[in-house]
Amino acid sequence: MNFDVSGPKVYFTIPTDIPILGDFQLSETMVVSWIVMALITGLCIWLTRDLKVEHISKRQAVAEMLVETANNFVRGNMGKKFDYMIPFVAALFSTSIISNLISLIGLRSPTADLSTEAAWAVVVFTMITAQKIKSSGFGGYLKGFTTPIPIMTPFNILSELATPVSMACRHFGNILSGIVINGLIYAALALASAALFQFLPGVLSQIPFLTVGVPAVLSVYFDWFTGFMQAFIFCMLTTMYIANAAEE
Amino acid sequence: MNAQELVTIIPWTFIAQILNLFLQMYLVKRFLFKPINEVLEKRRARAEAQLTDAADAKRSAEEMKATYEKNLAEANANAKDIIQTAQKQATLQSEAIVKEARAQAASIKQHAEAEINLEKEKAFQEMKNEIGGIAMEIAGKVIEREISEKDHQKLIDEVIENVGDLS
Repeated sequence: MNFDVSGPKVYFTIPTDIPILGDFQLSETMVVSWIVMALITGLCIWLTRDLKVEHISKRQAVAEMLVETANNFVRGNMGKKFDYMIPFVAALFSTSIISNLISLIGLRSPTADLSTEAAWAVVVFTMITAQKIKSSGFGGYLKGFTTPIPIMTPFNILSELATPVSMACRHFGNILSGIVINGLIYAALALASAALFQFLPGVLSQIPFLTVGVPAVLSVYFDWFTGFMQAFIFCMLTTMYIANAAEE
Repeated sequence: MNAQELVTIIPWTFIAQILNLFLQMYLVKRFLFKPINEVLEKRRARAEAQLTDAADAKRSAEEMKATYEKNLAEANANAKDIIQTAQKQATLQSEAIVKEARAQAASIKQHAEAEINLEKEKAFQEMKNEIGGIAMEIAGKVIEREISEKDHQKLIDEVIENVGDLS
């Protein structure tokens, strides 16, 4: 039995042949991303239907709780002056968590494609850099690399670049490992049940009984917990880095 | 259908995901944060208005209470004044009544005494006249006939009897 983990499927390719960008590929990642976006937007619209000031529905209570949680999260980590960051962090978190968990309904997570996390990390890195330049000026920003002594400059540049790389790779690695481990578990359980139930007659011996239920238990950690944790960590780091950049 | 590499960055996907992220940010802001924040703001404003209203109501109630207390104190003072005046007046009146009654009683007594004296004098005068008349009669009788000892005695008895009748 062969076990194989492949990258996202490419539905079709439009040969554009632009230098660096290459051919346009409509991949599974993009399609599922749009599904995720549609889900989140639909959820937002559904939650905010028929809003009232008094005697609110449970749905509105949930919507208010989500907004309050986002407000508290961003204000707690970054302070009040970063209120304009709340929708960005909320979008980042919701996209990340829904992308992570969408693998539960059989779609391929967009977060299992490094392009997604790289895009997010680059956006966050740009924000961090912009915040640093804003708080200490362009000269001050460049000068920051020579602290505490000029000889440290290469290491400082390296650590600066390590921020987006580590953010992207941490998130991607965790989600990909979940997919790999889930694939391995399915394969292993199929093998095990084939070995256990080979005495059953006919087609019954071909049914992998063990793959019913057992992977669900393991997916509590590898999909639910990791999916939630990585979304949370990504947003936490985003807010922390930007708040730190503003303080310098 | 072919697949892309497991670990790779596809430039088009990369760009699309950046755009997706910002689009998602706009959508979340437009469809979740804007309406909910509006509602929260409205509720906060309403709560504040209610607090202000309550403070106003409390202030006006306190003002009213102060006014009432002032009025009550004034009314109490007035009542005390009225009672004092009434008491004073009543005392004066009662004194006047007693005085008048005394005066009247005194005058009545005087009148009565004067009348008694007058009656007394009148009676005395009448008695005198009667006695005089009797004496005259007796004298006449004595003159008209001889008086026996028996008659004498009889006359005396008569006189005495008459006098006794008069008294």
